Amino acid sequence: MTADGLVVIAALLVWGTVAGLDLVSVPQAMLARPIVAATVAGWLLGDIEAGLRVGAVLELFALDVLPVGAVRYPDYGPGAVAATAVSAHAPWELSLGVATGLGLVVATVGGWSLRWLRHRNARTTQRRAAALRAGDAGAIHRIQYICMVRDAARALVLTAAGLAVAWLLDGRLRLDRDTAAALTLAAIGAGAASALGGAIRGAGTGARLRWLAVGGAAGLGLATLAWSIG
Amino acid sequence: MTGRFRALLRLLAVQGSWNYERMQGVGMGYAAEPLLEDLKTADPLRHTEAVVRSAEFFNANPYLAGLALGASVRAEYDGVAGEQVARLRTALSGPLGALGDGLFWAGLVPATLGAALAAIALGAGWVAVVAFLLVFNVCRLAVTAWGLRTGLATGMRVGSAITASALPRTATRVAGVAAFAVGLAVPLVAGWLLRPFGSRGVAAAAVLALIGLLLARWFGARFTASRFGLLALGATLFLHWVIA
Repeated sequence: MTADGLVVIAALLVWGTVAGLDLVSVPQAMLARPIVAATVAGWLLGDIEAGLRVGAVLELFALDVLPVGAVRYPDYGPGAVAATAVSAHAPWELSLGVATGLGLVVATVGGWSLRWLRHRNARTTQRRAAALRAGDAGAIHRIQYICMVRDAARALVLTAAGLAVAWLLDGRLRLDRDTAAALTLAAIGAGAASALGGAIRGAGTGARLRWLAVGGAAGLGLATLAWSIG
Repeated sequence: MTGRFRALLRLLAVQGSWNYERMQGVGMGYAAEPLLEDLKTADPLRHTEAVVRSAEFFNANPYLAGLALGASVRAEYDGVAGEQVARLRTALSGPLGALGDGLFWAGLVPATLGAALAAIALGAGWVAVVAFLLVFNVCRLAVTAWGLRTGLATGMRVGSAITASALPRTATRVAGVAAFAVGLAVPLVAGWLLRPFGSRGVAAAAVLALIGLLLARWFGARFTASRFGLLALGATLFLHWVIA
């Protein structure tokens, strides 16, 4: 592997860690959104278009998720980074399905790792309960820093595992054209269903549902127009 | 750097130690510390008690946590009884959670993301991603800073300040914009990605999307997007393997 290749891998690991940390811990600036995480990963890999496409499909899945309170949700940031690594510099019509699959698997594992993280954080807090009861500001600092470092380590391991699988898929997975294209179609169809399903569920039956229908009709009209032109 | 600005920066990490026991409690204590510093010299005992209370259980939308932080710190300086300060934090948890989740997670996030996805599908490229990040974070930081300022200014009267603010009305309006933006984005993104596959590809993806919508309706929230995605990809792979 060249020095440039190692620099790209290191940059992807750092970016995946930042995206994973952004989801819950800090700074919650939407860097963990798949469209952001994948686009930046695509830029780092020298194929920003691949990042945009992978990010758009994974974002359709992520739109279904409301990350509120103690609810369990996938961690799409590191997953989007790994998925982009699969699709970069490959014909996207044939790689998008496999990339989406890897992105979803890593995101799901990321969701499980968040549960582990929260239990570990609770134990860290319990161990310093006496100091907290005594009003020790230093204990608050220590808990905060330990938990954030732990989350960064979690995101780093998740990104590294995702990139390792992406590298294995790149070298070992051999799919015929029809199967690869069918997987891409399945990813797009499932993503559209997920985004719409989530939007319908969240819209209820009132004005929001009407706005969703108006938006859908406008989008359909614009998409048809874009097809007829392009 | 002023205590207020340090508290604002620390509010960005209010969920840094999120856990099932105190939830955002320790993060709130971490953000409260710079604001409570003046109390250390004025009334050391009260300061210690305030630090203890600041790190107790708390859970709300992280972007509106500044309202509760500011209000409870102001109450500590005003010499309000400790039990009342604790009750204020508890009382604010639910409303700030519901209001913030409606404003951000069901409003601003899908509205700006839907707009960004639609723009990407229409050829805007990475510029749409940068625009999304800028718009969201400017709004988010403005709301967080306003929350901290309002909480510090109103103390125990923060509830009235929230009710009188534009937040509840904005949350209702932005929810409609979000529904429109997501409705607009989904067909545009699907059309953009399906173009090389022709009408047969569109038909296949549409059938799958319809099946997904029916399953989502049948199973409700248990039928998560990632589960359906993996199921659809696995079933496609299996069918191709059987046919081959």
